[in-house]
Order: sequence, then C-alpha cells, then structure tokens
Amino acid sequence: MCRFGWLLFLVLSPVAFGHGGVVEEDDLCVIKIGYLRAHFKIYVPAERQHQEYCEDIPVRGDSVFVMEYQHDGLSSAEIDFRIIRNVTGKGKFARMQDVDAIDDLDAITIRYEPPTVVPDVYTLLQPFEEDGEYIGIISARNSDTQVVYTAVFPFEVGYTGLGVWPWIIAALFALQLSYWFMSRRARQSTNTLALLAVAALLAPYSIAKAEESWVSDSGYFTVTFRSELQPLAINRIHSWVLHVEDRDGNPITDAEITVNGGMPEHNHGLPTAPQVNETSKAGDYKVEGMRFHMRGYWEIRIQIDVGDQRDSVMVPLDL
Amino acid sequence: MTSAKQRIRPWMVFAIAAITLLLAYEGWLRFAPPVDWSDEELSQFASLWIGNLPSLPPDTSNAVADNPAAAAFGHQLFFDARLSANGMISCSTCHQPVRHFTDGLPKGVALGESKRNTPSIVGTAYSPWLYWDGRKDSQWAQALAPLEDPNEHGSSRLHVLSIIASVSDYRKTYQALFGAAPNLEVQEEVDRAFANIGKSIAAYERLLLPGEARFDQYVEHVLDGGDHLHQELLSKEEIRGLRLFIGEARCTECHNGPLLTNNEFHNTGPLSAPGELPDRGRIDGVRDVLADPFNCLGLFNDDPEPSCAELRYVRTGVELIAATRTPSLRNLKNTAPFQRKGQTATLAAVLAHYNKAPLAMIGHNEATELNLRGWELRALEAFLNTLGAAIAADEKWLHAPEKGVRSDSDGENHGD
Repeated sequence: MCRFGWLLFLVLSPVAFGHGGVVEEDDLCVIKIGYLRAHFKIYVPAERQHQEYCEDIPVRGDSVFVMEYQHDGLSSAEIDFRIIRNVTGKGKFARMQDVDAIDDLDAITIRYEPPTVVPDVYTLLQPFEEDGEYIGIISARNSDTQVVYTAVFPFEVGYTGLGVWPWIIAALFALQLSYWFMSRRARQSTNTLALLAVAALLAPYSIAKAEESWVSDSGYFTVTFRSELQPLAINRIHSWVLHVEDRDGNPITDAEITVNGGMPEHNHGLPTAPQVNETSKAGDYKVEGMRFHMRGYWEIRIQIDVGDQRDSVMVPLDL
Repeated sequence: MTSAKQRIRPWMVFAIAAITLLLAYEGWLRFAPPVDWSDEELSQFASLWIGNLPSLPPDTSNAVADNPAAAAFGHQLFFDARLSANGMISCSTCHQPVRHFTDGLPKGVALGESKRNTPSIVGTAYSPWLYWDGRKDSQWAQALAPLEDPNEHGSSRLHVLSIIASVSDYRKTYQALFGAAPNLEVQEEVDRAFANIGKSIAAYERLLLPGEARFDQYVEHVLDGGDHLHQELLSKEEIRGLRLFIGEARCTECHNGPLLTNNEFHNTGPLSAPGELPDRGRIDGVRDVLADPFNCLGLFNDDPEPSCAELRYVRTGVELIAATRTPSLRNLKNTAPFQRKGQTATLAAVLAHYNKAPLAMIGHNEATELNLRGWELRALEAFLNTLGAAIAADEKWLHAPEKGVRSDSDGENHGD
C-alpha cells in the first residue's frame, strides 16, 4: 500500500522532484519555474498550423516554444533554455536529479540559449531533425534575489505510439459533438444577447452627447465633460475638460482623477492611456490623450478621489 | 420486393422536403435581391467614403512638410540609389510606384531581407504611427530608418550627408531649405541634418494620397439618393460583400474611416512565418518609439511647443503582444502578399484566416470566429477589390524625377 502510494505520487506529480516542470492545469499547459509560472505551449507551424502542444511534439520540423508569463518576475529574470537528448533511461519520468547526475551536459545538448532578459513573452525556434526523446531545461534568475529556479520537462518528438490514435479519434469525435452542441448554444445565446441589446436600447437610458453632466454613482459629485473635438469622431486624438462640483454646486479642487474605459461588447479598453491634470480654473480638469478607434458603444469610467471620498461615474458614448 | 422498392416512405418525403427547404434557404440567402440600405448602413458608408477624408493635417514637427521645394528634393532623394551603401538601392527599390509603393514580395529585399512586408506609403501622412509595429511616429522619422538598416540601404548618416554635399544641386537645395551645411564633427549637427533629409522625403511622401475607388463612387451615388439597385458601379456580388463588410464580417471594427484603417494595433493571431519566431509586434514597437531620438518629443521636432499627444498618452502593456498596425484596405490588388510577414499570398487566404480566428501563438487573438460560408467569403473578396484606385497625386510624383538623378526605377533590382 505504502509502495503503491509512493508510485502514484511519482506519476501524478511531475514537479515533486524537480524545482519545476510542465503540468496541465484546467486545460491550460503551465510551466512552473520555482514559484514563477508561465503558459507553456509548442507549435509546429509548417505542419500543424495553429495547433498547440503541451509537451510532446508529433512531427519533426521547426518547432516554436512559447512561454507567456503569468508572473511579472519572469519579465525581468534572466532566462536560459537548454534542450538535451534524454539519455537518462527514465523517459517521461526523468527529473531534475537525473539531469544533475549527467556528467557532460554539453555533449548531449542540441540547443542552448544563454541567459537573456526577455520581457512579456519568451519564444524559441528549434528545428528538430530527428525523432526521439528530449529534455527541456529552463532556468530563470530572479533579478532581485539572484536565486536561480529551474524547470525540467521531458518530451518526445515524433511520437507515433499506436496507443494514442484511438484516444485522438475519440477526442476528435467528442470535440465535434461538443462543437455542434456549442455552436447551437452559441447561436441561442447570440439571440439572447441581441434581445438584451434591443431591450437595453429601449430602456430609458441615454447616450452622452459631446457635452453633458452626470451625477456620480454615490451622488457625491456632478461631473460635466466637454470634448474639445466636436462632434466626437473616431481615430482622432483630442482632449476633454471635466468640470467637477459637489452636491451644492461648489467646484471640487485637488481631486485625483483617473479616466479609463473601453467597449464592453468587444472586451477591450481605450487605445491610449489618457492623463488628467487640474487646470487653473477651479473644478476644471483636463483629460489629454483621448482617442476612440472603433465606431460603436463605448463606456468611459471617471474615478474621482477627494480626501477620503471616492466616487465614480460612467459616461456611455455612441460613436 | 418490388412493392418495397416502389413504395414512398414517410421518411423519404421528410428528407426530400428538408433538403428542398435547405437549398431554398441557401438560395434565398445567396440570390435574394438587395434590400434598401438602412440609415445605420448609410451612415457607415459616409464614414468610409473618401470624400469624408479630412484635409491633410499639418505636420508641425516638420517645418518643410508643405514646402514644394522640399517635396521636389525629397522626390529626388526617394529615387536616388547613391544614398545606399552599394549605390544600387533607393527607397523606390521596395516602394515601387507601379505597385502602389510596395514590392510584391513577402518581405522587402534590398541589401538583405527586411524584417517585414513592405507597406504602402500612400495615405501614411494620416497615421500617427509608422511601420507594422509603430516604432516610428512620423513620416520623416520613418524615412531615416531604412537608410541605416544594414538589410536595406545599409548606409550611414555621414555617407548620406556626403552625397548631399558632393552633388551641387543637392547642396544648393539643402542650403536654401535648411541653411548652412552641418559641421560633421558635431554629432547633434549631423543628426539634425540627417533629420532634415527625412523631412524632405516626408514632404514628398505626404503628397501620395489615395484616390476615389469604385466603392466611393457607389457611396456618392447612394448618398445622393441614387437608385442603389439600378446602377452599374457595383455588381450584386460586390454589394453582398459590402453588406457583410459593414455587418456580419465585422471588418469595420478596425478597418474604419475613409482610409479603412484605425491605425491602431491589434493581434489577429497570424501564423508565424516559415522559419521565424512569432512576431512580437507592438509590444517591442512601443518601447522602440519611446526610445527613438527622432520621435515627437526628441530634439529634432521643429514645433517649439509640440503636443505629441499620441506619444505621451501611448498605451503599453501585454495586450500589445503580437499586435500590429491595421493596414489600409485601399488597393489590395497592388499590395499582395499580405500580413506582417507577407506570409499570406492571397486575399482568400486572409479571409479564411479571419473566418476561423484561431488562438494566437503569442498574446491574444482579438478577432472572433465569423463562420461565414464560402460564397460569402467570395463576395467579401469581390467587394474588397472595389477599393482599388489610382493614386491621387500629380503624375510627375509617380516616377523618378526627369533629369539629373540616377535611379533604378525598373524596380527589378533586388540586390541579393
């Protein structure tokens, strides 16, 4: 029992003995380099186009390794990437200590990228010329503490095991079924969305003109905005002037104001990062760097902080 | 047995009825006469119409932007191969007027191979950002980069300035426009004179504007209250494509305004080019433009009080991974192959890509699956081909200057 438990532990937890490795979490392939995590995937664009692989690569050829950082620490870390032939004899179960036991790593290294800082996303192109078993070793040096973390992941290139095919076919069939099911559902939900949109249009709420006053959500402030671009148009950078008053109509000075927004229907933000500065006129704030890059429905969120009072207002715009 | 063969069974009736209905539905979708345009669609037309292109915005960063002498000077420089390291490469090697100032290649080929597909110059005076990744923020700053790119002109500031000094026409023109020749011992003077070369080229490039396409004539006709059914400007298929373009195919989310581009950066998940890493796009471009000594906030902006709003309020962040600038859709016929690396040869393949909207290799694909049918994609393609038009510029700007300048206007010289 004890022995079996041990074996199960070995099989189910590939990171147990390394300092990290590649695991699938919620359908997402993740590489853990110490506490640093990244979305990990491999492509073979020429052969399999946009198909992504987590560890094993089905065919030889130009393979693109991608790590999309989930932790900012990787953006400033020095990362090095090594690919060796898997000579450990342990196949898929090769771990950090197996790699450590190898005397001459360079002799079996087929690719080494020296430590480099690569912000945002790491990519590497490796032309595999031979099928076989390999091990990837990725190290990251924390830029503050200088501690080096390492992930080890064994993988195969050109795996052809017959055993996989029935699963793939079954999975494809299941995928197709779920696709049919999903697309039917998606169509229904689009209809629901359309209905909701129509309902929203009929509801008694209005779209801002290029100049209008709004009372903030909690009622602390009245915000009037005036666009210097009249009428509002897409693809033109321009400024707004905000005038902020309290409930009694007194101008609010020394407020911290932030402006952001986006298109909820398209799930994206503003194309610029507007900045707000107080002007010499009491209660007036200039918002510079406004631009809209798409026609349609936009929401602009203005957040106002004065002392310990915080309130915000949402300005709907139709361009 | 025979009776079993001849009997019409209920399921057969049902199947035949179902097939007939399906065909009728498809046929109705495909061949139904166009209905009247809605007010919303008419307002979309107006927003895309070339007649609504605002007049050319002034470029206050370039004091000679609208100076005819500078434009003529820039025209000469644009076609002058002496500015390159081997005397064989000019701007027009890759930006060929006959190909709408592109080269018909996946990636530009001059001294070596460029990083990306050669974009057209036509209409770029309206863009706050230049290059696929927007690493330059003015036409003049952009014009400088190829001169010093080892794969393009492979030249240097000093070499370019020595040519200006040694050709007497150039020397005179330069001094008339910008004053005394620079002291080549002083880096800032060299840089300023080099910037002046870019400003002259930009004065020429500003004159290259898109002309009125068949689509624009149709819009004008319809906005004037003309009968949209009985006209010979657009075919029925092209009109079906137009309806998709402004509707279901969602093209105008990015390809909007009279230039059919928002000049913004989007990740649409293209496949990496063969043998290359996925293009990082704007995430690097935004760092480059902020660090560029020739940017709007740099020393060489001629505006004493520059606003530089685009640069100062530029957006950064991971959403920009693999994003590239929306290209104009005017004149696609002359600007193939497509996408940032020219990795897509045909318009049909580009449309097929957008129809599927696969997950991006790096970053996030902003586009979503369209699920259009084959004939709809063909209609869309037919419509896109109505956006071609001659360049709206004086004929003399569309070829090498008449005299006094050596050129490689045949455009066939790709250097190797």
